[in-house]
Amino acid sequence: MADNKISTDMWEKVDMSTLDKEVIARKSLTYWQDAWRRLKKNHLSMIGLFFIVLMTLLAILGPFFSRYSYSDQNLELGNIGPTMEIYQIDDNDFVYMNKEYKLVEVTEDGHISKRLVPTDEDMMQKYRSYEIDGKEVVIDYSFAVAAKKSGDPDAKKFEIRVNGDVIDIHDKVFNKTYWFGSDSLGRDLYIRVVYGARISLLIALVATIVNFFIGVLYGGVAGYTGGKTDNVMMRIVDVIATVPLLLYVIMLMVIFEPGLKTIMIALGTVYWVNMARLVRGQILSIKEQEFVLAAKTLGASSWRILVRHLIPNAMGPIIVSLAMLIPSAIFTEAFLSFIGLGVNAPMASWGTLANDAVAGLRTYPYQLFFPALFISITVLAFNFLGDGLRDALDPRLRK
Amino acid sequence: MSSKSNNEVLLEVKNLKKYFEINKGFFGRSKEYVQAVDDISFFIRKGETLGLVGESGCGKSTTGRTIIRLYEPTAGEIIYDGVDISELSENDLKPYRKKIQMIFQDPYASLNSRMTVGDIIGESLDIHGIATGAARQERVFDLLNRVGLSKDHASRYPHEFSGGQRQRIGIARALAVDPEFIICDEPISALDVSIQAQVVNMLDDLQKEYGLTYLFIAHDLSMVKHISDRIGVMYLGKLVEVTDRNELYDSPEHPYTQALLSAIPIPDPEVTRNAQRIILEGDVPSPINPPSGCRFRTRCSYAMERCAEEEPVLREVNEGHFVACHLMDEKFPITE
Repeated sequence: MADNKISTDMWEKVDMSTLDKEVIARKSLTYWQDAWRRLKKNHLSMIGLFFIVLMTLLAILGPFFSRYSYSDQNLELGNIGPTMEIYQIDDNDFVYMNKEYKLVEVTEDGHISKRLVPTDEDMMQKYRSYEIDGKEVVIDYSFAVAAKKSGDPDAKKFEIRVNGDVIDIHDKVFNKTYWFGSDSLGRDLYIRVVYGARISLLIALVATIVNFFIGVLYGGVAGYTGGKTDNVMMRIVDVIATVPLLLYVIMLMVIFEPGLKTIMIALGTVYWVNMARLVRGQILSIKEQEFVLAAKTLGASSWRILVRHLIPNAMGPIIVSLAMLIPSAIFTEAFLSFIGLGVNAPMASWGTLANDAVAGLRTYPYQLFFPALFISITVLAFNFLGDGLRDALDPRLRK
Repeated sequence: MSSKSNNEVLLEVKNLKKYFEINKGFFGRSKEYVQAVDDISFFIRKGETLGLVGESGCGKSTTGRTIIRLYEPTAGEIIYDGVDISELSENDLKPYRKKIQMIFQDPYASLNSRMTVGDIIGESLDIHGIATGAARQERVFDLLNRVGLSKDHASRYPHEFSGGQRQRIGIARALAVDPEFIICDEPISALDVSIQAQVVNMLDDLQKEYGLTYLFIAHDLSMVKHISDRIGVMYLGKLVEVTDRNELYDSPEHPYTQALLSAIPIPDPEVTRNAQRIILEGDVPSPINPPSGCRFRTRCSYAMERCAEEEPVLREVNEGHFVACHLMDEKFPITE
């Protein structure tokens, strides 16, 4: 056992400076980098984000791709759909017949030239005749009444005769002049939808700013101050929250003229209350945590504690709630416009476009389809993004 | 630690009370109070460590937080270096925010997870305008170094650190303003034993190096014995015994202190088997309706009639040994 003894000269002292102090190998990620990494894994919200970016680009750049402005109208070329069934009269002459059995001159690939003037027209006999390149083109729509009575949607309603011979559909082409078709006044639906996107995104922006600056700060101050101040501030919120938005907008119309400004004022004054409540709740739970006490012992002012410590730590729920509030604001604007309390003609929002389309819904369904599609896509995209953000910003799911 | 020739009192707490209002009733009637800290007095000398022990909920942390004015004291005086700071406004208090600092219990909750370690430590430098730019960075690196972390850690976020490292960051934050007095609110309770020793030894070294004064709040008696010069024992918002650490362990006078000390595990089976543990009956009474007279009487095996009627006062029975118990009147008669 004696030889097992370890003498001091068998040891060598390690120079402390050669030792690494504890090294962290993991790449440093900030909170937002980490959240972005997790958000990227959620395909649905990435699709949502993609559509939001696309919609924003469309709203900004869309008008540059169109020759028309949202108010340009051409009464002769109203109610032409995004796809057209064209007929060939002779080699170079193609026509499109609209739902009123009137002919419009088009090119083979779908550009609209002009409305043709009939040479003869008889409403009683239900026919209309044109002269194109020396050929007599007759539209006989006397079958329409019988077709309607039969109840068969495929029944023959009309025939087009060129020099006495019945011709058939030549081709179905996309409308190259009005991509989304034209409305009853011959305005380009595409550019009107783009302007609608501008209004909707503007509303989204206003809702965001209002929620952020009024809602977050109001809730933050109420939650952090606490006591009587909190009580009074939250009762004010309760009062605002009880007034129905619709009633409120109508009352505002008395003071301001109807329009986008009124909607923005209405949303701006009432839309932050939910955010204020949410932030107050968050702040109440965070403010008792030790890091807030630590900041207090360091002598930090209340404002500094609120802005540097409390609000950043409540950011997750704030962002999520924001992403959920934006579609609701867009939807509210569309709804108010739809019932006629929104933007004024000729300005277009998705709500007014939908409203205009309702009258001719059975004949011209595309006029409702496009604004409805854009409303749905935008609202869905924000909702998907909000869902993904909720998961990505929840630190309990952090891996 | 033991070489305290300095007898100058740095902090004196006189009749400090902190009541929390609860159960306000519907119209603000029927108010009730949690008497978290009820009329306690003690002092801390410059450069020494006063340990404060007691079971959970006895008001140790509330005492610490009231001294640093995180809570507004209900009554009493907090005299720091000759000035009563208990009623100073937040503005007048600012110089004292540099002198008095605090280390918190939970290393996970006490660091803001949205700030880098450099910003956490440097925040007080910004608030008090101590250093900016390169000087601020230099100081942050220096502080990290002092607590055994490296300067690479400044750009990291708290979640990347272990509990012990986080507690070091908390200590570096407290040291940033060059404080004189640090309240350690159970700084080691949330750490495992091996790390506890590291942190306590570091606090010890820092005290020697910078001449710091500590109020060390804990419930681990052996750790408190290791670091403290004097120890105060609290029970239900009251200070029941204050004395030198060796005297407390050798000759505890208050029945509650005796019970506490008998509960310290001894790492020797032979001794443990023969040791007599004092087991306290019942639970700690509610601090909303504390018992009349001596608050410990409901669980005390020596309780007398007098204990229910008269509240014992903290009185010096031996030199530097203060006890609040009626039993002491017999053992150490009042000599006046």
